[in-house]
Amino acid sequence: MIVGAALLLGATIVVLGACLLLILGVIAVRARRHSRSKRDEMLLSPLRPPLITVASGEDDDGSAAEELTWATGVSRTVLDRNIADLLTKIRGAPAEQLVRVLEVHGAVDAAVGDLSSRSSVKRARGAQLLGLARAAHTVPLLVDALRDESVEVRNSAAYALGLIGDASAAGPILAAIGVPDRGLPAATAAEALQSMGVGISEVLREGLKDENARTRMVAAHLSGERSFTRGLPELRHLLAHDPDVTVRETCAVAIGRLGRGEDADVLARHTGATEPLPLRRACVTAIGELGEPGAVPTLAGLLGDPDPRLAELAAGALITMGAEGRDALAGHEDDAAVRSARLVADLQKSAA
Amino acid sequence: MSAPAGDPDANPVRVLVADDDADIRDLVEFKLTQAGYAVEAVPDGVSAWEAFSANPPQLAVLDVMMPGLSGIDVLRKIRESDFAGVPVLLLSAKSRDSDVDTGFAVGADDYVIKPFSPRELLHRVNGMLARAR
Repeated sequence: MIVGAALLLGATIVVLGACLLLILGVIAVRARRHSRSKRDEMLLSPLRPPLITVASGEDDDGSAAEELTWATGVSRTVLDRNIADLLTKIRGAPAEQLVRVLEVHGAVDAAVGDLSSRSSVKRARGAQLLGLARAAHTVPLLVDALRDESVEVRNSAAYALGLIGDASAAGPILAAIGVPDRGLPAATAAEALQSMGVGISEVLREGLKDENARTRMVAAHLSGERSFTRGLPELRHLLAHDPDVTVRETCAVAIGRLGRGEDADVLARHTGATEPLPLRRACVTAIGELGEPGAVPTLAGLLGDPDPRLAELAAGALITMGAEGRDALAGHEDDAAVRSARLVADLQKSAA
Repeated sequence: MSAPAGDPDANPVRVLVADDDADIRDLVEFKLTQAGYAVEAVPDGVSAWEAFSANPPQLAVLDVMMPGLSGIDVLRKIRESDFAGVPVLLLSAKSRDSDVDTGFAVGADDYVIKPFSPRELLHRVNGMLARAR
């Protein structure tokens, strides 16, 4: 009994001690961060007026930018970090002027060097800075970094390539999605490609034929988002035949965005009960997007579907299809799906 | 860069700027001041609403994501106030269509997405004020 009580007391002391150490650790980290932030603020304070002058685009004679180039030592490091941060917030001529300050400081060259650092944090930061500095000459290095062992570095490289916007990097970004064990996250790739110009339409078309399902999905998604109609034949083919349901679903959404009237029939073929539910729902929504009156009977036939969400989507699509669509709802006014779709439509109308 | 901020002998046009990011706040304040506007810059939504209520400006530039009251909250209060007609420009990193839709639905007169061009921001402020006159 006494031994048990002593053990309990000992365990309690150990737990309390560990908690105390943890609290002290958190306090120490916060204090260090606070003091570093104060120090940075103090170092930056004499440089802040010229920095704000340049960032606001009011440095017509370039004197403020020149003043910034004189910074040395730790002040320069802090200033460069602040400039990199500002480059995420402003664009245009002031941003270009700030990039020139970074170049004079050697920060862009240092970032190139950081890409081969042993530290993944440095590699990721280096890639990010090269993107913010729109360092187009570093595109080949950033393309290599898309296959880095660290996912953070791969993400930063894709982000940087998106900022630089060189369409020649679109192919490597798409290809990086399917690299085994070192794949680029699909969302990152999509975001990077989203910011590139129309020069990527052929790359996306090729991506629709890629052997990797995630690559095909990103290519299909972006084809719809960017309204690249040249990929329509491939999108129709994948909608019907792709082995991956998510790819088919993404193709349906894309066709809804950029398809033609006759695509309503193509989509209608995949609304049947034997098709996977997510695909049926995507096709119904896409038919609504197309607004093709010829699809009214298909949608009307789905109002009584056992899946309440599908029925609601069909009702919602009919509501948006003018008089013919609304006529098809006659006799279904009391259906839960129709009432719900009407409520959603009214809410959307009042929000707009 | 000069802006049509009115007759130099007259009282300058007053603009309220609210942003919790000191960089953005300072540079927008500097840009508009250089253009001849009288700028009051505040770091959060609560201060923005207090400043607006105490002395309504002729135009407000509001960040959307601020601690306390968001720019959307402040805009909503402005639109419900006796000074509902004051033009408001939302400045935000929130760039989705739905974010922009929300801003305009609540009553914003303009919506600028970060990263932004300070020069373009000034043109938009000038244009809004010209239309409001």
